[in-house]
Amino acid sequence: MSQSTAIRRPATPPLRLGTLANDATVRSVFYQAVTFVCVVGLIWYLVSNTIANMATRGMSAGFDFLDVSAGFNIAFTLIPYREGDSYLRVFQVGIANTLLVAAIGVVFASILGLVVGLGRLSTNWLIRTLARWYVEILRNTPLLLQIIAWYFGVFNLLPLPRASVDLGGVMYLNNRGAYFPAPVPGEGFGLVLLALVAALIGAVLLHLWARQRFRATGRPFPSVLVGIALVLVAPTLVYLLLGAPLTWDWPVLRGFNFQGGFSVPPAFCALVVALSIYTSCFIAEIVRAGIQSVGHGQTEAARALGVKPSRTMRFIILPQAMRVIIPPLISQYLNLTKNSSLAIAIGFPDLVSVWMNTSLNQSGRAIPIVAMTMGFYCVVSLAVSFVLNSYNRRILLRER
Amino acid sequence: MSDAPLVFAPRPADPPPPSTIGVVGWMRANLFSSVPNAILTFLGIYIFYVVVSAIVNWALVNAVWEAENRRQCLDMVGRSGACWPGVAAWIPNLIYGLYPKDQVWRINTGFLILIAWAVPLWLPRVRSKVAIGLSLVLAYPFLASYFFHGGQQTLVWTALIALGATAFAWTWLTSLAEMRFGLGFGPLVARLFGAADDERARRIGWGALAALYVLTFVIVSQLDFVEVQTRFWGGLFLTLVISGIGIAFSLPAGVVLALGRRSEMPLIRVFCVTFIELFRSVPLITILFMFNTMLPLFLPEGVEVNRLLRAIVAVCLFASAYMAEIVRGGLQAIPKGQYEAAAAMGLGFWQSTSLIILPQALRIMIPSIVGNFIGLFKDTTLVSIIGLFDLLSMSRAVGEDTRWLGLFIEPFFFITLIYFVFCFLMSQYSLNLERRLGEGQRR
Repeated sequence: MSQSTAIRRPATPPLRLGTLANDATVRSVFYQAVTFVCVVGLIWYLVSNTIANMATRGMSAGFDFLDVSAGFNIAFTLIPYREGDSYLRVFQVGIANTLLVAAIGVVFASILGLVVGLGRLSTNWLIRTLARWYVEILRNTPLLLQIIAWYFGVFNLLPLPRASVDLGGVMYLNNRGAYFPAPVPGEGFGLVLLALVAALIGAVLLHLWARQRFRATGRPFPSVLVGIALVLVAPTLVYLLLGAPLTWDWPVLRGFNFQGGFSVPPAFCALVVALSIYTSCFIAEIVRAGIQSVGHGQTEAARALGVKPSRTMRFIILPQAMRVIIPPLISQYLNLTKNSSLAIAIGFPDLVSVWMNTSLNQSGRAIPIVAMTMGFYCVVSLAVSFVLNSYNRRILLRER
Repeated sequence: MSDAPLVFAPRPADPPPPSTIGVVGWMRANLFSSVPNAILTFLGIYIFYVVVSAIVNWALVNAVWEAENRRQCLDMVGRSGACWPGVAAWIPNLIYGLYPKDQVWRINTGFLILIAWAVPLWLPRVRSKVAIGLSLVLAYPFLASYFFHGGQQTLVWTALIALGATAFAWTWLTSLAEMRFGLGFGPLVARLFGAADDERARRIGWGALAALYVLTFVIVSQLDFVEVQTRFWGGLFLTLVISGIGIAFSLPAGVVLALGRRSEMPLIRVFCVTFIELFRSVPLITILFMFNTMLPLFLPEGVEVNRLLRAIVAVCLFASAYMAEIVRGGLQAIPKGQYEAAAAMGLGFWQSTSLIILPQALRIMIPSIVGNFIGLFKDTTLVSIIGLFDLLSMSRAVGEDTRWLGLFIEPFFFITLIYFVFCFLMSQYSLNLERRLGEGQRR
């Protein structure tokens, strides 16, 4: 008698409602079906209401208004815009302004955040305490309040153009805004830019080569220093060889206001300053947590192996701290971009203010406008999370 | 010669050098340990002096404390000192908004009830803390909305308000009973009636609760509060209402969404992920705008939704999406062994989640949850952009008052202090809670 006969398949239990209700698959399908019906029902209800309401109010949901002339002026535009340009152009102007604020804010917030974060780790008690209270006070008050306070309390109270605050003869601050000299590229300036791009590519390639050789042979090469020198020297050489083809358009006080140069309104200054300072608190905490997350044993181990202190920082502490710092840092950058939408409170024409407020009120096309605004922010944040996820995958600790 | 044993008596140690102890030593170690450090210290002292002396001079030394209007302030000190009488005159409005003066006691009573309701949660001998907490979250809103809004009572409405009042009465009765006798309210009444067995005791307990309900129902139906429409709500009161509802709603909703996101059912996961990612990727102000302009379109014709409700819906959905990500982080931090052990004990999904996973996960999440609450509290300022009169809008209104025209900085300074105190206390309490709950984890 073979042993296999001893193993028999259990008889299929009789089909009863009780067994069905306890079957994992049946349950799962049932729950999902219920959820699906509820969600789709809710959406259908909302959509049908919206369609009915729009029909009674004579509203339209199409995108045909994008070609229509917007017919209002915008106080500050990064890209050229004239009154009478289309709504699509308004949308682009809004995006450009939002991205400009975000880019400048990110740079300042990072620098400030790094300084304050290192200050919180200082061995100096006074610096540590000052940095701590800087963070506590600014982190525990609303950003909108800070933006409005900077606007009404500082940038609106600046003197008239005639009595402008002169910052080293380069930049002027008054209650109309901040004025900088604007670069005017002359003949052949394109070549300088080309040299800059070439130098950048060269520096990156050099760095890659140096890293490969370091991994293969252990012989280091100061690729970062050489790269920086390359990026600085090459364009300067080309610039000088071509006879300095760049002039500056200086702002000059004429009559009641400055003429020429490049200027930004007070609202822009208030927004950038408030966003940078507010975000710098969070960045400072991230930097501090990142550096503290690297155990002291790492430093001691490096010392025991005879690694120089400067190299300990570069090859042991920083790579490990970066792993902790980078992901929350990037989400802070994203937060800063989203928070720039508070510009509406002080009348800076960012995307939300110029598109979701002015254009919506002018054209009455609520649905396409809301959808386009949210679409822009979704695209930005999806792009950022894609970058983050790929970074996280690259630096993931491979355990066991 | 001498027979006395030779005893080794060490020479007493030299005292530590005076430069390493006391104030001097501390300063040498912490402020002047090296030349760059000393420079930093002087720089720090300078910054501290500039900032603090500017604030103190403006807010205290040069400030005007008594004046009829802003003109007088400006005549006295110009812009070099603060003009506090303007803020003082507006304090009632900053706190209660445009709420009718003779009805303000209702707001005060409402918040006192909230505090009284929460007190038993901190009393050590009270055992039914979970029930009290749940009753607070579920039943207080009815009571509060009647106190704050008032108006006509329909039968259903009265029944719900009475439910709130009963829950409040039960909370205190049961807390007192537990502190004094170690028995809940129901069991105590049953004991007094001399219940023979558990079944009868339970019935008597529920009967006592029902009697309490009838009593409160009668009392509540006698109340007659004037209706105060939500457009009169404002100031700190409105800020607390919006953030309170947002906090109470976002935590349970966030838990549900996070569980949905980790669910094995693909459809539920997709819905939850879409909701969370959509609401997290756009700024709150766009959501507020969207609900402000589109909620009337979404609902059938004739259904009126007031501005406050639109803002509250937006804040709640936004906050729950953020909370969901925090809860997900907490759930992910629970080792897989806990899930497996719960399954091995024969616990189903709901049992293992509510008894094993969530209690551990919530403890890890406390700092982030409180951080989120603080963020929510600060974000309520955004409702001023869509035209609600929260604390920030009220403070801007001071400068538009003809008597105090242009008075902006002082009210901002004052409400900054209010926001700071609330947020800072919340964060310090969370640190404290984290330390106490982490006691058992420490090695």
